[in-house]
Amino acid sequence: MTVSDNQGTPAAGAARKKRVILMNGPADRLQLLASHREAAVVSETHPLRANLSVLENIATVLQFRTNSYIGEAEDIALRLLDRAGRRDCAGKRDPDLDYEERFIAKLLRALVLRPPLVLIDRPAQLLPDTDYPHFLNRTLAALDGEFDQCWILDYAWNSPLYRPRA
Amino acid sequence: MPLSTHRGRYYSVMDALQNWLILRGRGFGTWAGTWARTLRLGAQALVAALSPSTYNRAMLQVVQKQVYFTAWQILPGFALFCALFSVLIILIVGETARDFGLYQYALELVMRILVLELLPLMTALFVALRTGAAMNTEVALMQIQNELGALERIGVDPFRLEILPRIIGGTVSVLAMTAVNIVVGLALAHLIIVDLQPWSLAPGEFSRVVGDVLNPAAQLALWLKTAAFGLAVTVIPIAEGMGTPQKLYYAPISVLRGMVRVFFVLMLLETAALALLYV
Repeated sequence: MTVSDNQGTPAAGAARKKRVILMNGPADRLQLLASHREAAVVSETHPLRANLSVLENIATVLQFRTNSYIGEAEDIALRLLDRAGRRDCAGKRDPDLDYEERFIAKLLRALVLRPPLVLIDRPAQLLPDTDYPHFLNRTLAALDGEFDQCWILDYAWNSPLYRPRA
Repeated sequence: MPLSTHRGRYYSVMDALQNWLILRGRGFGTWAGTWARTLRLGAQALVAALSPSTYNRAMLQVVQKQVYFTAWQILPGFALFCALFSVLIILIVGETARDFGLYQYALELVMRILVLELLPLMTALFVALRTGAAMNTEVALMQIQNELGALERIGVDPFRLEILPRIIGGTVSVLAMTAVNIVVGLALAHLIIVDLQPWSLAPGEFSRVVGDVLNPAAQLALWLKTAAFGLAVTVIPIAEGMGTPQKLYYAPISVLRGMVRVFFVLMLLETAALALLYV
């Protein structure tokens, strides 16, 4: 397993908190996930609640954990969606989302509670139609200050994708 | 016939018997496991429902939604249907009793048949078909797609947020809808038997019969039975959904099994209640 810090060209603040972990195979991935049980995971295998809207998916987690009023939780969720530039998808449910919207919804659901670590698991699966290293850099830069640490778990054979481009 | 052929037949019969026993044993194991899971979920739900620390705003919001979708949304239509059904039963029982010269017993018959037995059972069957099937499907899909696992991973207890509110909301809905239907049934019985035919009963007879039939013991049995109906139409479909293997083609099988089990449990509860009251 290889760890590479701050690859790509994100904004400086977010870049300091981001790491790309390059794994050699599924065993590495499982081991890493198992050893970071405290981390919030953004993964293809961790879907949104299909019959809730994006806003409800994010706000319900916050409301459940903090016992806040739904209005307060929704305000925070909307502010996060604003920061990610995806307020327009707040009312959509999972089957109506495109890959990028679904990824943003999962990411915001994961970081709304400010966990110590957010793991983005195999982004190629989450964003199959997107130049995802750039998209991740842009998104994490937009959400700078909303998370403490974010690790991107990807396979070693995708490492060329993370090299800085001209 | 050579001896070896006899031995061959003997062993093939024994093998078939052994395979049959293994299959039966596995089937029994699955059956017992499913019921054990259902009973465990029911017990967990009862304990959690009685524990104040279970309740928070997110959980109560899901309970509210469940009561809205299960009871409030359909209440006018279902109450109207039950009213029409009640009128029909009251008229049939009244006319039959009159034919036999036993009209003075019509009210008690109506109370016992309609209020104590038919309306609670009809309400439970309706909620089972409408909400129980939906719960079974929804929980099975949540299980298949790992939505419950995903919630758990981000620190949300899926039992408190998704499972328990459905059980509480569904059970409360069955109790509330049964109460509404009983009140409507009693009002209609009063209207048809007393108001429209004031000569049929002595003054004060209606109150006396209602008090007699709905005595404290009968009321306790009625509401315990209704609560058991409510638990059956929520816990069984949810337990079946939670036990669904993570393969999409198991979803319809899960709903089928859940609904069949709900039907048999409702019938069993009704039979047991009848036996306790009348045998």
